[in-house]
Amino acid sequence: MIEFENVSFKHQNGVTALRNINLKIEKGTLTAIVGENGAGKTTLVRHINGLLKPAEGAVRVFGINTKQQSVAQLSKKVGIAFQNPDNQLFSDTVTNETLFGLKNFGMSEKEQAERLEWALNFFDLARYRDVSPMLLSGGEKKRLCFASVLSWDPDVLILDEPTVGQDYYHKEKITSMIMDLLSKGKTAIIVSHDLEFLWPLQPRTLVMAQGQIIADGAMANVLSDDETIKRANLVRPQLLELAIELHLHPRVLSNVKEAAKLILVRSVGAR
Amino acid sequence: MMYWVAGGFIYRRVDSFFHRLDARVKLLLTSELVALSLLSFSPPELIVTMGTTFAVASLSHTLRRMGKTLAFSAGFAITIFVIDILVGYSIIDALVYSLRFVAIVGSTSIFFLTTSPDELEHVMRWFRLPRDLIFAYVTAVRFVPVLLLDALQIMDAQKSRGLELERGNIFKRVRNFSPVLIPLVVNAVVRSGELAEAMEVRAYGAVEKPTMLYSPLLRTMDKIAAILSITLFLPTLYYFLFLV
Repeated sequence: MIEFENVSFKHQNGVTALRNINLKIEKGTLTAIVGENGAGKTTLVRHINGLLKPAEGAVRVFGINTKQQSVAQLSKKVGIAFQNPDNQLFSDTVTNETLFGLKNFGMSEKEQAERLEWALNFFDLARYRDVSPMLLSGGEKKRLCFASVLSWDPDVLILDEPTVGQDYYHKEKITSMIMDLLSKGKTAIIVSHDLEFLWPLQPRTLVMAQGQIIADGAMANVLSDDETIKRANLVRPQLLELAIELHLHPRVLSNVKEAAKLILVRSVGAR
Repeated sequence: MMYWVAGGFIYRRVDSFFHRLDARVKLLLTSELVALSLLSFSPPELIVTMGTTFAVASLSHTLRRMGKTLAFSAGFAITIFVIDILVGYSIIDALVYSLRFVAIVGSTSIFFLTTSPDELEHVMRWFRLPRDLIFAYVTAVRFVPVLLLDALQIMDAQKSRGLELERGNIFKRVRNFSPVLIPLVVNAVVRSGELAEAMEVRAYGAVEKPTMLYSPLLRTMDKIAAILSITLFLPTLYYFLFLV
């Protein structure tokens, strides 16, 4: 569904951001893109909705070359929630901010009203509907960005650093939103440094370094590799670190309760 | 496009003779070029002035970047030409005014392309301008690339929500920019507030005369360049003021 074929990209300042990327992302899957700052993660996802066009190679979304479509056309299928909410909020009210995309895509009034209600309720923003987005807290602004993108129900959702500024409750909310989207057959791509957040989701994980994908596979397998961790300057999720220290299969520990139970069993056994 | 245009005014570290000159000497040379542009009253004079500007730009390896800004300023130059013709100036006069605009943009562009905000601060301090004014001006210059990047990111974010900036007639296009301008201005205001606080907590304004680590001194090369430029400029000035 999303296909990168020998894609390379160089920024205006001459820095090569992507080098010969070959990648396929299937419909209904969850993919995480991780790596250190400047590895090319955001540049990669900006190619999916046509904000950037490859200097070499081709990016195809639903079989269509992104060079042949405008950002607006692609955005209807591919929604991106950017890292910094201050870079997109401008309306006088939360309601109008959420409606912005819906209006741009020419949705009917009935559809706009329905989607607005869904988005505001899902992201706990209904009580702020008449409040200026500028007056919201950092976390609320971030949720408003998600709401304003998810409101038009794109087939692919890209979240760039979704957990920045979010408390535990709202991180859980984002997790449930992602699971909900996946159950509806949507495709989700998460760019994040927050491996602890990604761990319970167990996404397919792409590790990037210096504009290249250096590892691709199940999260537990990819992050178990010392060489990958070193090259991408990553820190393993604590549960994975614990599993490795206990010589367990990396996927055995998916939450703290399981880990505690296992340690308890082992210590009782040892006595 | 915006980045392309602003590229002609944003300092970039380059190793050239002109870059290494003291900022005061660069300001002197730029002022001389601007003065020549203002004093030129015929197309051949302006072409010579512009030629000098291009030669300096070439020496400082900024010709390509300056060219981008000049290409953009050509649009304004054409507007000046058309307006001058409409209000009754001769074609030659209209041509002179529009070329003069391009020449002034070119010479000021050289100064900003080769002078870092730090050097700019030294120059302003040398003129004994009020510290707050210097700080405000230098910060504004320093933030141009930052604002530019902000603007590009905001445009990307809004385009990703279906906004088509290039759609519709001229009035619609201007209106299309409000989702870009509002976050840009709000970000700038918020950032300036944060910067003010950050300066205050680091004791900005605590003493009337803060001390400096570096004081710029004119080196031999700077003095030679300054004397040479004045030697060439004065006869030219005499020519324009008394012989033309």
